[in-house]
Amino acid sequence: MKTDRRGSWYLLTGTVIGLAAGLFYSWVISPVQYVDAPPYALRAGFKDDYRALVAAAYLYSGDLLRAQDRLAQLKDDNPAQSLALQAQQAMADGHPEEEVRALGLLTLALAQGITPQPSPGSADLIATGRPPAKGITPTPQYFEPIENPDLPPGISPAPATGLLLQDMSLICNPDLTTPMLEVQVQDSNNQPFPSVEFVVTWEGGEEHFLTGAKPELGPGYGDFQMTPGVIYTLALASGEQIANDLIAAECVSEDQANYWGSWMLTLVQP
Amino acid sequence: MSRMTKFLLAMMVGAAAGLFYGWVVNPVEYVDISPTSLRIDYKTDFVLMVAEAYQVDHDLGLAVRRLALLGSSAPTEIVANALSYGLQHEYAAQDLSLLQGLGEALLTWNPNMEIPTP
Repeated sequence: MKTDRRGSWYLLTGTVIGLAAGLFYSWVISPVQYVDAPPYALRAGFKDDYRALVAAAYLYSGDLLRAQDRLAQLKDDNPAQSLALQAQQAMADGHPEEEVRALGLLTLALAQGITPQPSPGSADLIATGRPPAKGITPTPQYFEPIENPDLPPGISPAPATGLLLQDMSLICNPDLTTPMLEVQVQDSNNQPFPSVEFVVTWEGGEEHFLTGAKPELGPGYGDFQMTPGVIYTLALASGEQIANDLIAAECVSEDQANYWGSWMLTLVQP
Repeated sequence: MSRMTKFLLAMMVGAAAGLFYGWVVNPVEYVDISPTSLRIDYKTDFVLMVAEAYQVDHDLGLAVRRLALLGSSAPTEIVANALSYGLQHEYAAQDLSLLQGLGEALLTWNPNMEIPTP
């Protein structure tokens, strides 16, 4: 009588072969199909498209809760921050102004919990069932008029805005001799206020910048490089002026050498 | 029971374990999907957002490009599907009006009239 001396290894071999076949089938041949996926599974680029669309839709409805619900589907750790970063990136990449504006406004609304007025078009649509006339855009009112503070000498008082120019000072740093126009914006809780869009204008030119574009300097910080001898006006993107007649100013070092300083404007929301 | 039968049984147990692991415990994860794979309610909301944005920018070409993210179907078909879902699930009248308005606008859309973006 023959004795089988091969043992039970064949069982393990069979199990391993079966396991490999099962994994191959379930991972390669017939993987789980995600046909009913949620927005948070979207690729990063599509998430950006989704956020931009949420912001664009928000411009129409002014429904902050709905926008928040939609953004929550992306499961970002900090939806407002993601929006702010996307707004900055969109502006840096030269995306359409409307997209940047929409992202900025929604970021602002999320930060402040403010709901803008619905666009005039929404009422037209409900009443008539037809789209509103072309060119109608919402005009959210984010900033309440305030009294102007005492401004530093040489700076023209700006029309009333919702951001209070709390301080303006010349920063002299011999290591940084490029004249800059710097702003620090804080909300009513003295927290940095990101994505506030400013417009710097001068004779023959205009440039926009956002707070938070340089995260290493803080979310409420924004700046613009000045050219000596050029007179600038600083305004919010909404058109409300902050300061006029801004011009690069010189500092004097200990050895009596002149170098360019930077203007630092601190703006707060009352 | 013969050795071959036991061997086959072991293979079946292994395959079952492999399928369970691959389908249930650690399935393939699609973390980089496109909007075409979104669930129907999310797709409908996506179309609704396009319709809302259209009311602001009145840019039909942009609306079509946004809808194209949802697949290669005709834009009118995508909006019709969204409208159908919205009707079935009793969306607000205003939302249905928006979808209806976008659908009607798309009927007039002619891709040949699109101005190419530089």
